[in-house]
Amino acid sequence: MNRTIQIVLILAILAIAAVVLYDSLSTRIDKRPDNPYQFSVEEFKPVDESLLSHREVRQIEVDNPVAFTWQNGKLFLLSGNSLQVITPEGRELLNKRIDFNPRSVLVDKHGQIIISYENYLVALDSEGNELYRSEMLDENSLLTSLAISGETLFVADAGKRQVWILNMELETIESFRGESGVSDVHGFILPSLHFHLAVNEEDELWITNSGMHRIQNYSLTGRLRRDWGEPSFSIEGFSGCCNPYYFAFLSDGRFVTSEKGIIRVKIYRESGELESVVAPAAMFPNGEKAPAIAVDENDHIWLLDFDKKMLRLFRPV
Amino acid sequence: MSKRIDRRNFIRGCARYTLGFGLAGLVGFTLKDTTTGEWVWQIDPFKCTSCGRCATHCVLNPSAVKCVHAYPLCGYCDLCGGYLKPGHISRDTAAENMLCPTAAIERKFIEEPYYEYKIIEDLCIGCAKCVEGCSAFGNGSLHLQIRHNLCVNCNECAIARVCPSDAISRVPASEPYKIKGGFEPGSQDVAES
Ligand code: SF4
Ligand code: SF4
Ligand code: SF4
Repeated sequence: MNRTIQIVLILAILAIAAVVLYDSLSTRIDKRPDNPYQFSVEEFKPVDESLLSHREVRQIEVDNPVAFTWQNGKLFLLSGNSLQVITPEGRELLNKRIDFNPRSVLVDKHGQIIISYENYLVALDSEGNELYRSEMLDENSLLTSLAISGETLFVADAGKRQVWILNMELETIESFRGESGVSDVHGFILPSLHFHLAVNEEDELWITNSGMHRIQNYSLTGRLRRDWGEPSFSIEGFSGCCNPYYFAFLSDGRFVTSEKGIIRVKIYRESGELESVVAPAAMFPNGEKAPAIAVDENDHIWLLDFDKKMLRLFRPV
Repeated sequence: MSKRIDRRNFIRGCARYTLGFGLAGLVGFTLKDTTTGEWVWQIDPFKCTSCGRCATHCVLNPSAVKCVHAYPLCGYCDLCGGYLKPGHISRDTAAENMLCPTAAIERKFIEEPYYEYKIIEDLCIGCAKCVEGCSAFGNGSLHLQIRHNLCVNCNECAIARVCPSDAISRVPASEPYKIKGGFEPGSQDVAES
């Protein structure tokens, strides 16, 4: 081959190699320029140390968690198609195969386990044997939360934006939508497909109205009695459009809330005034989902961290 | 008479073939993915991590990437994480409360307490700031798409090369959009957004 052609070939290869090398080096992740359009909420994440009331004392890894609850010294955990009962130390007591895609779980004081699915419910005994099965509540239902008062079961339906009232044999009694015809009693506004409710020790039914960033107290027949909550990125309020996402009660009626966006878990007094922070955003690095909450008999707070796939136990400092 | 292959000729031959194959390989590598055929570039919104490069790396200025709104997924929130700046002073249309750097999102009152958010495509630069706000605090109904009425369908999409999430790939021209929430490609809502 002619020497000139060889030189041209070598130069061409060197030129192409240089371009390829430059391209791959300049687009390496550590070489890329900062994002000039960065969306940031970092400034809202730091929390005054004096507000921190709890510290994390235990983590238990769990597989594909969907929902959980605490009752009688045990944790009841749902995943894709199983119900697991574990001790607070993480020892498995029961692992039962259930229908696919459960949404929420609740256990009454007698040990009856209620599981909600998209549009129906199943009641199990403490060994996981089926006791009752409801009919389909509505084809558009999405049953995301459960609470019990006496022998009455309340079911939050994010699909229909209403609360169903059933008896413990899972027969439907009635439903309500939180509306009254008065303009400031608007009904449930649910920007995302999650709707949460809980009953406290005083048998008061509280329900999230997350589009209004409030937690509302309804009579057991569905009349709004009072509510509290303010939207705010600062620590006192609920950030973003779908918060508070979950809440639970301490034994004296104080609220434990969790939020998505800026993930944080806080305690509010019954009046709705912020009392303290259980877990600030720094405890959920790179997290995306609000953790579910359960409170045990000692008022210790369990969080189900969906991002880390972990149960996390917090005790007062 | 058989030709004698001495050491010098052997090395020269090897070098020649190595150069030849090397060049062919490099040319092939460089030309990889350059046949456009019936394919166009599109973003998978579920892979996109809102890095901002869709605004800065498209060969067009402003970018062919625009925000689109999947209305069936939207909560029509008053407190919209895609529209309002974190720490906004009030929930209204004042510029200081807007997250979008180009005021490309229009907020329209529907009925108490619902608001509709519409993208003004001519103003959108595809920066994904609203996408990240909506994903973190809302339902993720705002997302990015390469708009084929603008995109010149480069042989190698300049954004795809630098996308940290490998979110951009070729899709059949017959199905050019990957719209969240089950929109039909080119449906009214997207075309109007
Ligand atoms: S470059 Fe990729 S990750 Fe970044 S905004 Fe565009 S599609 Fe999303
Ligand atoms: S924030 Fe960025 S992506 Fe969203 S509408 Fe404005 S310019 Fe477009
Ligand atoms: S193919 Fe070209 S014009 Fe289209 S989005 Fe990519 S860089 Fe922009």
